[in-house]
Amino acid sequence: MFIARMIDEKKRYRRYKTRTQQLPADYHTAIEALERYLMYFGPGKGEELLAMLEDLADLFDESAANRTPIRAIVGEDPVEFAEAFRRNYPVGQWIVREQERLTSAIDSVAREEKTT
Amino acid sequence: MGKQMTEMLKGTLEGIVLALLAGKPAYGYEITTLLRAKGFSEIAEGTVYALLIRIEQKGLVDVEKRPSEKGPPRKVYSLNAQGGKELEEFWRTWRFLSERLEQLR
Repeated sequence: MFIARMIDEKKRYRRYKTRTQQLPADYHTAIEALERYLMYFGPGKGEELLAMLEDLADLFDESAANRTPIRAIVGEDPVEFAEAFRRNYPVGQWIVREQERLTSAIDSVAREEKTT
Repeated sequence: MGKQMTEMLKGTLEGIVLALLAGKPAYGYEITTLLRAKGFSEIAEGTVYALLIRIEQKGLVDVEKRPSEKGPPRKVYSLNAQGGKELEEFWRTWRFLSERLEQLR
């Protein structure tokens, strides 16, 4: 089961890679840079990561077809665009773990405060 | 476009796009063009795209894929009933905010 899913995800990733390689060179360079950033900060699960990358490829396919300049796609601040885009997908598991840890740490301190 | 404008738009762009879609259904590129025509000149196409994905996930719009002459099929977005409610809520919130802000002047 696990292996089958892994093989399937690998195939999807390869399809994504082939697809982005067919983009004009400057679009390809831009999407690779975004992919690198999103790999660090994006979803931790393969399935969700792939859904995100495929949506990104849709944007670049359409933009390349319309000849939208790269700057008009990602705006003045590419990090801000990458962050706005990334927020649509679940965060990585290690981030969720840390968010839960922070919430429960503050919860327990606040509880202490009330009882004393 | 100034930094302040960028920051303020972040909170209102969703409402603005819902309002545009209330007029008529549109696809991503059309929405960006429409925004530019309304004076929101420097909004990145990717920012609009990210927002469209979000309102689709939230179930505020219906999406229909239509073939296009050039490039991949286009996703055409139209406001649904839930999106309509969200838009009403946006205008209520906006009215509240702008009234409060006027009082501070």
